[in-house]
Amino acid sequence: MQLRDYIVRRLMILPVLIFGVSIVVFALTRIGGSPIGVYLSHEMNADEVAALEERFHLNEPLVVQYWYWLKGALSGDFGYSGVASAPVSEVFWPKFAATMELSVFSAIVAVWLGLWLGVFAGTRRNRWQDHLTRVVAVSGASLPLFWFGIVLLIVFWANLGWFPVGRSTADLWASIPHPTGFYTLDAILAGNVQAFLDALWHLFLPSITLGFGAVAIITRMMRSALVEELQQDYVDAARAKGLPERLVLKRHARRNALVPTITVIGLTIAFLMQGAIAAEIIYRWPGLGRWMADAVVRGDQATIMTYVLFTSVLFLFANLIVDIIYAKLDPRVRLGD
Amino acid sequence: MTAHDMPKAPVIAEVRDLRVQFDSKRGNVHAVDGVGFQIRDGEMLGLVGETGCGKSVTGRAFLNLIPRPPAKIAGGRVLFRPRGGAPCPDCAGEGCEACGRTGTETVDLLTLPPKPMRAIRGARIAMIFQDPGKALNPTLTIGAQLAEVFLQHRSEALLAEAGVSPEETGWQANALRRMAREEDRWLDRRLKGLPPLSSAAAKLDAALDAHVAAALAETQIPNPARVMRAYPHELSGGMRQRVMIAQALACDPDLIIADEPTTALDVTIQARILDLIKTLQRKRRTSVLYISHDLSLVRRVCDRVAVMYAGRIAEIGTVAQVFADPRHPYTQGLIAAVPRAGTGRGHLASIPGSVPELVDPPPGCRFADRCAHVMAECTRANPVAREVAPGHQSVCFLEKTGQTAAPATSEASTT
Repeated sequence: MQLRDYIVRRLMILPVLIFGVSIVVFALTRIGGSPIGVYLSHEMNADEVAALEERFHLNEPLVVQYWYWLKGALSGDFGYSGVASAPVSEVFWPKFAATMELSVFSAIVAVWLGLWLGVFAGTRRNRWQDHLTRVVAVSGASLPLFWFGIVLLIVFWANLGWFPVGRSTADLWASIPHPTGFYTLDAILAGNVQAFLDALWHLFLPSITLGFGAVAIITRMMRSALVEELQQDYVDAARAKGLPERLVLKRHARRNALVPTITVIGLTIAFLMQGAIAAEIIYRWPGLGRWMADAVVRGDQATIMTYVLFTSVLFLFANLIVDIIYAKLDPRVRLGD
Repeated sequence: MTAHDMPKAPVIAEVRDLRVQFDSKRGNVHAVDGVGFQIRDGEMLGLVGETGCGKSVTGRAFLNLIPRPPAKIAGGRVLFRPRGGAPCPDCAGEGCEACGRTGTETVDLLTLPPKPMRAIRGARIAMIFQDPGKALNPTLTIGAQLAEVFLQHRSEALLAEAGVSPEETGWQANALRRMAREEDRWLDRRLKGLPPLSSAAAKLDAALDAHVAAALAETQIPNPARVMRAYPHELSGGMRQRVMIAQALACDPDLIIADEPTTALDVTIQARILDLIKTLQRKRRTSVLYISHDLSLVRRVCDRVAVMYAGRIAEIGTVAQVFADPRHPYTQGLIAAVPRAGTGRGHLASIPGSVPELVDPPPGCRFADRCAHVMAECTRANPVAREVAPGHQSVCFLEKTGQTAAPATSEASTT
């Protein structure tokens, strides 16, 4: 099967998968009981509660409730967030964009740095550079994100004052329009260099905090994959052809070592989405973090469902991209059946 | 080339007292311990021995592909004298000790700097690996892998065929030159498909494809154009080995190291691959170092044979000499162990004992504790090579009556 056909087919299956995910998410959220709690106040009497249940169709069977939810979601209405005291659809996008911007930025840094460090260590196996990289990798995998984040915050924000917290400098943020909600993208679209640099400056500490663990995982995977590939016969065969070491590494060993590493990178995306919540709370990043934490504690089901649904869709896309890269790198991967 | 006109052919490569050791947890493994032999122009030399006797390490020394660490070269030289090489710098082509009186420049492959070594690899000395399924990169097409050889060593010819003359300057010619030498930059690859560059780049690709297809056709691969686009896993084992052979022969090398090229193949394919190697070797008069553990294969295709045991040469001579009159007890045992049609049921011969540990070995003959003719001196000192007939040496104390006492590490006395 051609790669293009495969991508088209995968994209066509995507809505079906999302539909399935929505059913699972709806069912799992409802295990926690009726979502009515977050909308109630102490002054309400039984009639008022019943009226509220009627208004949100909570007195109907579960299947009917799902139908109402689906109908709403398809028209862009994801319910009313009790925590934010506003419709989810109104509050969700800017916060989601902020979280995404942080995650994507961390992912780019983590993938780039992780691959680079993995190659650096793998080509210098058992030398001091390799041991040093291992220290970085082990600490990245074992330091808790919230602790590491707070240390960076104390050193670089509180003591040295090199980096800010929050997402932006307020007047720069106000000076440009925000069509996408991604500060860096909006700054580029507005052609405002100063705002763009401001965005990067604010992204720096939270994305290091968030990406550190992912760097560790990717580094270790890339290193061991590269060490394994470098021992293969075809690497010596490439050298026997007279190829310079640069090409032996780039075209042969490194490229093949990427195949197993790509799978790990795909899984790392989920890791980043989880970690983003903690990193946002530490750095006062105006993302989903605090909202989601409150929503989970107070049972704000409309918010939780929307978040889980969007994250799942992202994950499905990430997996699709990983599979495409996988097929591109390794011709032995059979597409489709 | 027949056996008796061999001594006239110049020596193209020579191993002198090669010692390779591997660091292991238990000590120093003497994998190759004073090996020496010569390869003459156009001959096929068989290097026979059991697994782990150091024959593959010796073969890899010719391409400086011994992994260091864990291995280290404890001594010795691997000399190479390419056909039509530059005159010897010591004697200006007069003929001296350094160049073996050939007047041609001799290089030590073990101490050669990386850049001239790369110019030799794949162009003057090539290698055929044991398992073509492992020696071909699974993620690149056959065409792309063969193209690498031409791009590394034949870029000037490719440029000429693409119509880029050496005098031509300007960014387009320079970009094409970088492409032909595999030094292309990011921008070159982006511009390759765009108009000012695309037609010349297409010519370059066409010239490259023609070279690759011709190389494949030489090894009797049917439909080279299709094979070029295939990935290794889409080909059979025999076909993959043909690709490896095409790759090794691509730049018409002087010496080919064939490291058990038929071992990984089905028995039915082995004979055909062997015949192919022999035919191409005769046609091009290439020298081949044929590494094998299979005596009958070596007897069939080689001109001379060197028998290795536990990191040392046991016996060396022409195929006729060694098989008709094996002198070293190990060679005798090996030849006796090959079953023949007449061998009765349940009568398979073997050499008692097993290969000794090569970790910090004591002095003496390595074969002593398996040898039926073992004497007191066998465990005291290392035996030296003795000439039993012109060009036939055995490294054994049994040959005390031999006329010439040539050192085990050199064949100089046979010339």
